[in-house]
Amino acid sequence: MFTKQMISSEIPMLMSKACEIFIQELTFRAWMHAEKNNKSIVQPCDVAKVIMQTDTMNFLTEIIPNNLGDFSVFDAKEENIANIAEENEVSLSFTAGFMGNPMMKMDSEENAGNIVEGNQATLPYTSGFMGNPMNMMNMDNVRMK
Amino acid sequence: MAESDNDSGGAQNAGNSGNLSELSPREQDRFLPIANVSRIMKKALPANAKISKDAKETVQECVSEFISFITGEASDKCQREKRKTINGDDLLWAMTTLGFEEYVEPLKIYLQRFREMEGEKTVAARDSSKDSASASSYHQGHVYGSPAYHHQVPGPTYPAPGRPR
Repeated sequence: MFTKQMISSEIPMLMSKACEIFIQELTFRAWMHAEKNNKSIVQPCDVAKVIMQTDTMNFLTEIIPNNLGDFSVFDAKEENIANIAEENEVSLSFTAGFMGNPMMKMDSEENAGNIVEGNQATLPYTSGFMGNPMNMMNMDNVRMK
Repeated sequence: MAESDNDSGGAQNAGNSGNLSELSPREQDRFLPIANVSRIMKKALPANAKISKDAKETVQECVSEFISFITGEASDKCQREKRKTINGDDLLWAMTTLGFEEYVEPLKIYLQRFREMEGEKTVAARDSSKDSASASSYHQGHVYGSPAYHHQVPGPTYPAPGRPR
C-alpha cells in the first residue's frame, strides 16, 4: 500500500520549527479564550474553542470530543457544538445550505453567530441565559442540533 | 476546496493510523513528548499564565495530528509527481495549501540560516583536514562554542500568534 518514500535532511528541521510555531499559536489563542472568560488556567475546552473558531484548525475537530469528556457537566453541550463544527466546516457553507428557507436561515445564522463569537463559553453562556430569554432560545437551537 | 481538504484529511488519518499501529503499538510513541510540548506552550504565554495537564495533552495530540496532516499532503504531492523524496519545498507547499501560509515565510528564513550554518560547519571540517591545528581549533570554537552560534539558533522570530480573527 505504501510505496517507500524518503525525506530530505531538511525535513526534520523544518517540521520541528513548524510544530513550535503551531503549538505557540494554538496555546496563545487558547489562553486568550481563557482570559476572556476570567479563567487563570488554560483548559482543554479553551483549546477546543480555538479549534472550532479557527478555519485552519478544522482538521483537528475529530480529536476534540474525546478530550472534552473530562468536563462531564458540559459534555452533551460541547459534543453538540463539536458536531456542528464537523457538519459545517465553514460558516459560509452552513448559512448557504439553508438559503432556500428563511426560518432555517435565521436559525443557522444564530448558531453561526454563537460559534463565531464564542458564546458557548461556560460562564458567560450561563450568565447570559439567566438574564436573557433570547439566549434560552439559542440554547434550544444548539440542543436541537 | 474545503471538501477536498476534508477528504484528504480523512485519508491521511486512516493511512497514518494503520501505519503507526504497525510500526509501534505503544501509546506514548504516537505523540510528541509532552515535556517538550509543555515547554513550548509556556514560551507562548506570560509568566502568570497556567496550563492544565489536560490542556497540555490536548495540544500534544493536536500537534501530532498537525504533523500527519502536513506530511501526508506533502507525501501525496510527491507520489503524484512520481518522486520518492519529500523535500523542504514540498513541505512548504503543503502548508500553503492547507491554510498555514503564514508559517512559510519564517520557515524560509529559518531554513536559510540553517544552511548558512551548515556552510560554516563545512568550512570548519575542511580546515580540520589541514595540518594547522590552531586554525582548526579556532574555527571549531567559533562555530560550536561561541555565543554567536547560540544567538543565531532562535534567530527567526515567527509571527505573533495572537492574530485577531
